[in-house]
Amino acid sequence: MTQAEIKLCSLLLQEHFGEIVEKIGVHLIRTGSQPLRVIADDTGTSLDQVKKALCVLVQHNLVSYQVHKRGVVEYEAQCSRVLRILRYPRYIYTTKTLYSDTGELIVEELLLNGKLTMSAVVKKVADRLTETMEDGKTMDYAEVSNTFVRLVDTHFVQRCPSVPTTENSDPGPPPPAPTLVINEKDMYLVPKLSLIGKGKRRRSSDEDAAGEPKAKRPKHTTDNKEPIPDDGIYWQANLDRFHQHFRDQAIVSAVANRMDQTSSEIVRTMLRMSEITTSSSAPFTQPLSSNEIFRSLPVGYNISKQVLDQYLTLLADDPLEFVGKSGDSGGGMYVINLHKALASLATATLESVVQERFGSRCARIFRLVLQKKHIEQKQVEDFAMIPAKEAKDMLYKMLSENFMSLQEIPKTPDHAPSRTFYLYTVNILSAARMLLHRCYKSIANLIERRQFETKENKRLLEKSQRVEAIIASMQATGAEDAQLQEIEEMITAPERQQLETLKRNVNKLDASEIQVDETIFLLESYIECTMKRQ
Amino acid sequence: MAEVKVKVQPPDADPVEIENRIIELCHQFPHGITDQVIQNEMPHIEAQQRAVAINRLLSMGQLDLLRSNTGLLYRIKDSQNAGKMKGSDNQEKLVYQIIEDAGNKGIWSRDIRYKSNLPLTEINKILKNLESKKLIKAVKSVAASKKKVYMLYNLQPDRSVTGGAWYSDQDFESEFVEVLNQQCFKFLQSKAETARESKQNPMIQRNSSFASSHEVWKYICELGISKVELSMEDIETILNTLIYDGKVEMTIIAAKEGTVGSVDGHMKLYRAVNPIIPPTGLVRAPCGLCPVFDDCHEGGEISPSNCIYMTEWLEF
Repeated sequence: MTQAEIKLCSLLLQEHFGEIVEKIGVHLIRTGSQPLRVIADDTGTSLDQVKKALCVLVQHNLVSYQVHKRGVVEYEAQCSRVLRILRYPRYIYTTKTLYSDTGELIVEELLLNGKLTMSAVVKKVADRLTETMEDGKTMDYAEVSNTFVRLVDTHFVQRCPSVPTTENSDPGPPPPAPTLVINEKDMYLVPKLSLIGKGKRRRSSDEDAAGEPKAKRPKHTTDNKEPIPDDGIYWQANLDRFHQHFRDQAIVSAVANRMDQTSSEIVRTMLRMSEITTSSSAPFTQPLSSNEIFRSLPVGYNISKQVLDQYLTLLADDPLEFVGKSGDSGGGMYVINLHKALASLATATLESVVQERFGSRCARIFRLVLQKKHIEQKQVEDFAMIPAKEAKDMLYKMLSENFMSLQEIPKTPDHAPSRTFYLYTVNILSAARMLLHRCYKSIANLIERRQFETKENKRLLEKSQRVEAIIASMQATGAEDAQLQEIEEMITAPERQQLETLKRNVNKLDASEIQVDETIFLLESYIECTMKRQ
Repeated sequence: MAEVKVKVQPPDADPVEIENRIIELCHQFPHGITDQVIQNEMPHIEAQQRAVAINRLLSMGQLDLLRSNTGLLYRIKDSQNAGKMKGSDNQEKLVYQIIEDAGNKGIWSRDIRYKSNLPLTEINKILKNLESKKLIKAVKSVAASKKKVYMLYNLQPDRSVTGGAWYSDQDFESEFVEVLNQQCFKFLQSKAETARESKQNPMIQRNSSFASSHEVWKYICELGISKVELSMEDIETILNTLIYDGKVEMTIIAAKEGTVGSVDGHMKLYRAVNPIIPPTGLVRAPCGLCPVFDDCHEGGEISPSNCIYMTEWLEF
C-alpha cells in the first residue's frame, strides 16, 4: 500500500471509529496479516483493547481472519475496503433514487452497522421513519420488509457468509476460528419471516435508556421473551453491485453526451437487462437481440421497431464503440463492450485533467500522441499546428509530470543521442495509476483541511452547542420568549457569521471529497478490468 | 650489325586528334560514354594518352565526368552552360555543380564545404561571386532561422523550406491557424445543430450532420478570410487539429470516383461532437491543479492547513 493510501485509511478510520481502532487498523494495513498477540505487542496496546478494536473492524468487513496451520489465527486488513468508506454517501444516495426513503435508510443502517439481521434492520428503519412522519402515523413493518426483499432481489443487499451447520457429529475440539461459508444460491435467499408490527416513536423516558446498552449487540430484543426468528442470518450491503450500477450510469451518461437522449435510454435498457446475467468483471454483456430490447423498453418510450433498429445500427457504427453487433439472429444481436467503455472513460478523465492543468493546447498534443501511439517531436509540431518552441515546452512539461514517456530507438549501437530517435508515447495504465495516487493524496488533504477548520473554530462551536442546549432545556421547562431571546443573543452577529462560513466551508470540502471519489471510481474500475485482462 | 628498331607510329596519335574524336563520340552518345567505348573506338591509342586527352577536355569544361554503377561516364557538356562559366575558374564551377545537384531543396554552406573540400574563406568568396552574377540565391530556412540554404536562381524553393501556407516570412502564423480552426468548428457545429433540430429519423439526422472535407473547403474559400490560396489538404490538416481537440470526429466512406471531393475512391466526413464526460472530479478540487502538490504535507511549509489555494477556493 502506498503512503498516500495508508494516510487516507488512517484519517478515515480515525474519523469514523476512533483512535484505538485507527492504530490497530493502520498497523494491520502496513504489516499485512498478523496474529492477535503480535498485534498487541507491536502496537503496545492491551490485549483487551486490541480484541475490541478487531471486533469492530471485523463487524464492518474491514478485517478478515484466517486459520493457518498449527492453529494460529491471523488477521488481515483490506485497504481497498477501508477506502470504500468514502463512497458510503454515494451508495446511500443511489438507493434513495431507486427505492426512495425506505431503501435509503435500510442501506444506511447496513453500512453503519456492518452486518445486521433482517428483523433488526426492519425494526430500526421503521422506528426512524416513524420519527419523521406526522403525529399519529406509524410505519408498518410490512412495507419496510417489502423494500428489503426488493433490495435483495436486485442484489443490492446480500447475505453474509455464516458458520456452516455441521451435519456430522464430529466430536473433535472446535477450531479456534470458524470458517465462514456461503452457498451461491443462498446469497440472495430471504428467509420467510412474518414481521408484524409498527414502528415505535422514541419517547424520552427511561424505557429507552435501558434499551440503549443492548443496542450494541447484533441480536437485540426489547422484548426478551420472543426469540429472533432469523438468528444467525446476517445481511450486508453488496458493494460490487453498487459499483456495477455506477459504471452503468457513467456509460449511459457518456452515450447521452455523445449522441442523444433516446440512444442513452436504449443503452440503459440493455444494461438493465444484463444486470443479473453478466458478472461484473466480464468484458462484454450477454448478446441481446433487438426484439428483446424492443420488448423491454420502458413504457413511456413509444418508438417503432424500425427506429429502434436504426438507433442500434447507429450505436454499433459509432466510433465510440460502446455497442457492438455480434450476430444477426433475432433481428440483430447486440452487446455492450464494457472494457472498451471503461477505457474510453478513463482516457477522457486523463484528457480532462491535462486540459485543466496545462491548457487546451497541451490537451491537443496529448490527444494527438494518444491517437498516433508513437510520434516524434517534429511530427507533433506539424500535426498539432503549434509553433515549434511552444510545442517543445508543452511536451517537456507533460513528460516531467509523467503523463507521457519517451521511447528511444537507437540508430547506432552506441546509443549516441544525436543519432537516436526519440518517440513520445502515452501509457494509459501507468498514467491512470499516477493520477489515482494523486487523487488519494488530494482527498487526504481535503479531510485534513476540514478537520483543521473545525479545530480552529472549536471554541465557537462548543459555545453554540451550549447555547442550543440551554435553549432546548428552557423551552422544555416553558420559559418566556424574552428569556430565550436573551440567551440567543449570547452569540454575537460576527460569531454567527463565522459559524455560517464554517458550515459553508465544511460542506464545500465534503462535497469536493465526493467529487474526487468519482474520479477514483472511474480510474480504479479501469485499472481493475485491465489487470484482469492481462 | 645494328638492329634497326622501327617504331611504328600509329596514325591519329596527335593529342588534338584524340580529343576531337572523343568529342565526336560524345555527341554520338549524348547520354555519356564509358572509358570502354573510347577504347573500342581507338584501340591503338595507349591508356596514358587517352587519359591526358580526357583530362584536357575536362579542364576546358567541354566534358562532364559522371559516375555510374558501371564505372565512369563522360558526357558532353551543355554548350550554353559552358559559355556561362567561361569567366569562372574550376572551384566556382565545382561549387555551382554542387548547388545545382541539390535541386530545389537547397544546400547549406557547410555541406558545400564537405562536398568540395574547399576551405571556408574560399567558399564564401565563391558564393558571393556567384550571387553577384545572379546564378544562385540564398533562401532562409524555416526549420532553423539562422541557416541559409543556397539554390539556383530560377528555382522555386521547396515547401519544406518555406513552410507552405502556414508560414509567412518564416514565421508560423498561429493566429491564422486559430481563426481557421474556430471557423471550421463553427461551421460543423451549426450543421450538427440544424441536423438535430430537424427531428427526423435518426439515420438521416446523423448523416446530415456530417460535412465532407470538400464542403468545408468551399465554405472557407467563400468566407475569404485567407489571403493565401488554401488547398483541400490544408483544410484537412486544420480539421485534424480539431479532431485532436476532441471537438470533431471523422469517418471515411467509400465514394464513387466521380463525386466531388473524393480522393482515390473515398471521402472524409467530419462531424462536431460533445465531450463524453464533464470535467472530472479531481480538477474541481484545488489539489488537482496545484503546482506544488508534491511538496505539500502536514506540518511542512506547504500543508493543507495553510494552503493559500484552498483558502481562496473556499472564499468563492
